[in-house]
Amino acid sequence: MKFDMDYIAHNNNLTEANPYYKLFITIILLVVTLVLDNLYFDVFIFLVMSILILAVAKINYKSYLKFLSIPMAFLIITCLFLMFFFGKGEVIYETGIFGIVVRADSFHYAVYTFMRVLGCFPCLGFLALTTPIAKILHCLDTLKVPKILIEIALLMYNTIFIFLNEIDTMKKAQETRLGYHSYISSFKSLGALASTIFLRSLDKSETLQHSLDSRGYTGELPVYVPRKEK
Amino acid sequence: MHIMEGYLPGQWCLIWIVISLIIVAYGIYQIKKIVDETPESKALLAVSGAFMFILSSLKLPSVTGSCSHPCGNGLGAALFGPAVTAVLATIVLLFQAILLAHGGLTTLGANIFSMGIVGPFIAWIVYKGLTKANVSSTIAIFFAAFLGDLLTYVATSFQLAIAFPTPSFGTALVNFLTIFAITQVPLAIGEGILTVIIWDRLKEYKPKLLDKLGALAPNEA
Repeated sequence: MKFDMDYIAHNNNLTEANPYYKLFITIILLVVTLVLDNLYFDVFIFLVMSILILAVAKINYKSYLKFLSIPMAFLIITCLFLMFFFGKGEVIYETGIFGIVVRADSFHYAVYTFMRVLGCFPCLGFLALTTPIAKILHCLDTLKVPKILIEIALLMYNTIFIFLNEIDTMKKAQETRLGYHSYISSFKSLGALASTIFLRSLDKSETLQHSLDSRGYTGELPVYVPRKEK
Repeated sequence: MHIMEGYLPGQWCLIWIVISLIIVAYGIYQIKKIVDETPESKALLAVSGAFMFILSSLKLPSVTGSCSHPCGNGLGAALFGPAVTAVLATIVLLFQAILLAHGGLTTLGANIFSMGIVGPFIAWIVYKGLTKANVSSTIAIFFAAFLGDLLTYVATSFQLAIAFPTPSFGTALVNFLTIFAITQVPLAIGEGILTVIIWDRLKEYKPKLLDKLGALAPNEA
């Protein structure tokens, strides 16, 4: 469930598109949005990216809304907080509760922050929803990011999914035995779960190392890059 | 909480990215040295990174009824030291941004600084200091995890307060700290207890490994 985004990234109309373009579009738009910090431009970027995601990449609108919903809820809370508890300029609106007021400069901050996140978030979404992680890492590799970092990241990416399955199994086993029945027992179960995963991960790392060694691993994982069709 | 995509103004994104890059570069240099000495540690590093990622996706039961997750940076710092943890945290944060939409690319620098540098560094100092002072490693790991988690949020409040210094830096810092203190102190205690449970089992099952990593207290080794 949690990794819907990974599934979507592998199954949309832009999965096979050149990852360099996608990476550069995302980064350039993010930088431009941050530098301009213009309310109209933020809305413009939000619309453009949403159209790209929904119409060009053909991602289900429900998944996109789900992707937006949690950060947006959080964003609204933090911006309300910025609006009511900050600032020292002139009072522009009085709520009448505990003397909480909205001031001109805090209002300005809240609106600009809100719009900035609104503009930036779909840019991240565009990259995250259309590009599988392995391709992003391959791009970073050719862009001279240290090899060791890329390799650890690739191995990590593989391992995460193995762990997720194991956690799922273990958690179900604990739940059927009322492991999360009370507050104290849920702490105990969670501790047991986490430490077991760690012990398992040590065994896994050993197995992984052996399997890599036996296949002639010399510190480089070759990635298949299909030749461009002309 | 990670600072979300676009939340910080441009110049602060840049500043935090530059600061974090320097420290992460040092961490990569350290990792290279470790891997050159013992080539088989690469898999261990990768798997521990995955463990950090998984740990932060486990929900911690909290007193207030809301759920949050442990950062796992205290445990990482006690096991591998702060420089290596910073590199692992960088990858973890990148994955969280791309796989879970948690955090972001422009705020990556700021998040690395709070979760990958300040938190682990404090946790490591606390852990080493306490074990040197002959406190048992179980108690030391509790305070390392507790303070590592707490200081992560102090660093985040600091970053937010510099970015939004209204009416003044001090007031903004106090404002952010109060909000985080209410939610984070119980969570930090929770993370401390959880780490102690994990630590106890590790000591029980893999004492040799902990000894090899130099993570046990001198009187327990």
